[in-house]
Amino acid sequence: MASFTATSLSMIALASPSLVPSARISSPNSVSLSIKGRNFPSISLQPTGRRFQVTCAAKQETVQKVCDIVKKQLALPEGSSVTGESKFAALGADSLDTVEIVMGLEEEFGISVEEESAQSITTVQEAADMIDKLLQSKC
Amino acid sequence: MSSLLDKARLMMNIHCLGRNLVTVSSSLHHVQLPAQKEAHFWYVLPDEIKDTNLLNQYFEILSPSEKESVFRMSGERLKKRAILARALVRTTLARYQINCQIDPKALKFKKNSYGKPEVDLQYTEDWNLPQLHFNISHTSSLIACGVTVGSPIGIDVEEKQRRLKNDVLAFARRYFSPDEIEMLTQIADPELRRLELIKLWTMKEAYVKAVGKGFSNSPFNTFTVRLGDHLKTSVDLRPRVMSKAHEITVEPPDDSKNISGNWQFVLLELYGSHYAAICIEQESTNRGKRSIPVNLMLRKTIPFVEDECIFGTDKAVVIGGLTTLLEC
Repeated sequence: MASFTATSLSMIALASPSLVPSARISSPNSVSLSIKGRNFPSISLQPTGRRFQVTCAAKQETVQKVCDIVKKQLALPEGSSVTGESKFAALGADSLDTVEIVMGLEEEFGISVEEESAQSITTVQEAADMIDKLLQSKC
Repeated sequence: MSSLLDKARLMMNIHCLGRNLVTVSSSLHHVQLPAQKEAHFWYVLPDEIKDTNLLNQYFEILSPSEKESVFRMSGERLKKRAILARALVRTTLARYQINCQIDPKALKFKKNSYGKPEVDLQYTEDWNLPQLHFNISHTSSLIACGVTVGSPIGIDVEEKQRRLKNDVLAFARRYFSPDEIEMLTQIADPELRRLELIKLWTMKEAYVKAVGKGFSNSPFNTFTVRLGDHLKTSVDLRPRVMSKAHEITVEPPDDSKNISGNWQFVLLELYGSHYAAICIEQESTNRGKRSIPVNLMLRKTIPFVEDECIFGTDKAVVIGGLTTLLEC
């Protein structure tokens, strides 16, 4: 039993004293155990509710792909900084660039973007969020 | 609120009385307001403006939030473009004074409920500012501002040599109307087809900007713009000649969803390198009758430095729309 939740740790504390591992809780998510003088490495508690998306694209990868498409559309020089926060307009995109970017995203991700959504995208992150949302609905 | 009006009144009086105290930043050549069915088209060529002192002057007349926007632009070239665009709007509108000198810096702007920028007249009642409508468009090599009185206006400028990253027909199929796709498909030469697409784009963009309700409320594939006899390869070089073949129409003219106006277009070729489309709303009493040409005044400007009236030269050629170019 290598993993404990906070509740099960408190239950063990009530059991037989000789077998109780003495634990020091240094932070809410990390616990170091010592049982009979032997130290166990500290264990990080996983935050509850985390979903592993195995089949859908992870968010960071989406952001990266969007950055690549934007860089290509706007012919930005190598080494240009494009991140999630980057606004298309601040990178020099006009309306024609924006619709071409949307077309590029549709092709890359196999999605279809509504006109209303297309207009509301102003940053790389917004585009990535929209894509992930559309992709989730397909999974 | 009343103290704000008092302050505005005081400021105006200072400007009126203190003309001698006015710095060189107020040396803008003043012009008459556009009449009905008249549009003024002002533009700057960024490559002509290199003087950093001048650029600083332009920067200084911007509002704090406009300055912030400039700083957010990535790189010097885009920052300069942003400064020139806002300075062009402010200096252009400031020229149409009725009584006294209007400080370009004092103009206030707001956005309509769809995000279209407009002059905010709330604080300028006392200045008797006319009901000016404006719209801007910029490319890296040309920044333009269109102005009218009493009519919504939309403009768009594109470089003729602009290459799409996508195939022309694929792009048209994604965004344009069936009739427009059909028209483009029938053009055999890929270069002519690309040019025609750019023209269509500028006209459609100008229309949506004139309507002022945003791209998503007037999706491009829900309306068709027709440029008269688009297959003519020769261009009429006499700008004052009006020909039915050049008439530009938009269908449906009366999209009951949100458009009830009567829209008129002008398509220009500037310096042989740019297409510029202007769209203004005509009086609805004129609908159905023979269209009256748009009177258009063109001016190239370097704000605070010089203005040039563009008339009777091949720097600007009307290639579509019933238009009369005006001498300034």
